[in-house]
Amino acid sequence: MWKWIQRQASPKVFYQTCNRLIPWFFWPFISLLMLGLYWSLVISPADYQQGDGYRIIFIHVPSAILSMMVYAIMAVAGGIGLIWQIKMAEVVAKVSAPIGAAFTIIALASGAIWGKPMWGAWWVWDARLTSELILLFLYLAYMSLNSAFDNPRTAAKSSSILAIVGLINLPIIHYSVKWWNTLHQGYSVGTGGIKDTDMQIALALMFLASILLYVLLVSIKARTEVLIREQNSSWVKEEVRSLIS
Amino acid sequence: MTMVEFFSFLPYGKYAFYVWFAYSISAVTIIILFISAKRNHSNTLLSLSNKYLRNK
Repeated sequence: MWKWIQRQASPKVFYQTCNRLIPWFFWPFISLLMLGLYWSLVISPADYQQGDGYRIIFIHVPSAILSMMVYAIMAVAGGIGLIWQIKMAEVVAKVSAPIGAAFTIIALASGAIWGKPMWGAWWVWDARLTSELILLFLYLAYMSLNSAFDNPRTAAKSSSILAIVGLINLPIIHYSVKWWNTLHQGYSVGTGGIKDTDMQIALALMFLASILLYVLLVSIKARTEVLIREQNSSWVKEEVRSLIS
Repeated sequence: MTMVEFFSFLPYGKYAFYVWFAYSISAVTIIILFISAKRNHSNTLLSLSNKYLRNK
């Protein structure tokens, strides 16, 4: 396993791995998504307090967890790129940013839509909501900084430092419902979280589908980024010729 | 007639507007991500191919 990971440092091997991963992740993602949606929208019972309005939880919670998870992956990959100068780690960090930003947008939008019927407001300056909004700004700042340099190595270095500094926001988001008396409800997963088995299954399915979606999108985006970075290599020239012809 | 009342014919009644709105926004975001990733890959292949042809 360790050797396999080490081999991924080679752009050619990493590109081939991404190509191989795409079909392996696409169909499981579609299957899990369909099953998850069926469990979320049909099988799961209505909540005793929130009625059917709570069903937004099945997209809100997985996307919120993924928004933080992707940021952590982005910062760790950026750190690996900084310390060990592994270019493929920089690629993973760079392509993860727009995906993480999209998960954050979904979490914020679904949260706002859920907030309206439950709280009577689309938005409140609550600790959880505000820290999640800061996460979106961190993603946007990372992407802006990364595209501000012509040299991809310089861009990766500066944006990785920003990503690592921004890690401080993750425990703030996670513990915000404990540290402050927020309007946002407590943890949805684990102690004090949802109790119904069907609801838990639906949430687990949607969470797994979200993870597969992330890996799938990283694979698609990373192979493009590798082609751009390695465009002067002979293997890329051969690959492009074989794909175009 | 409010949006909530208008969409109440859908499953989940008075919450239909909110539930389907949230799911639609998520679906649109994911579809945009997929399409842009795929399109970006195709465009990159084309531009690299053109570059190699020019340099031949």
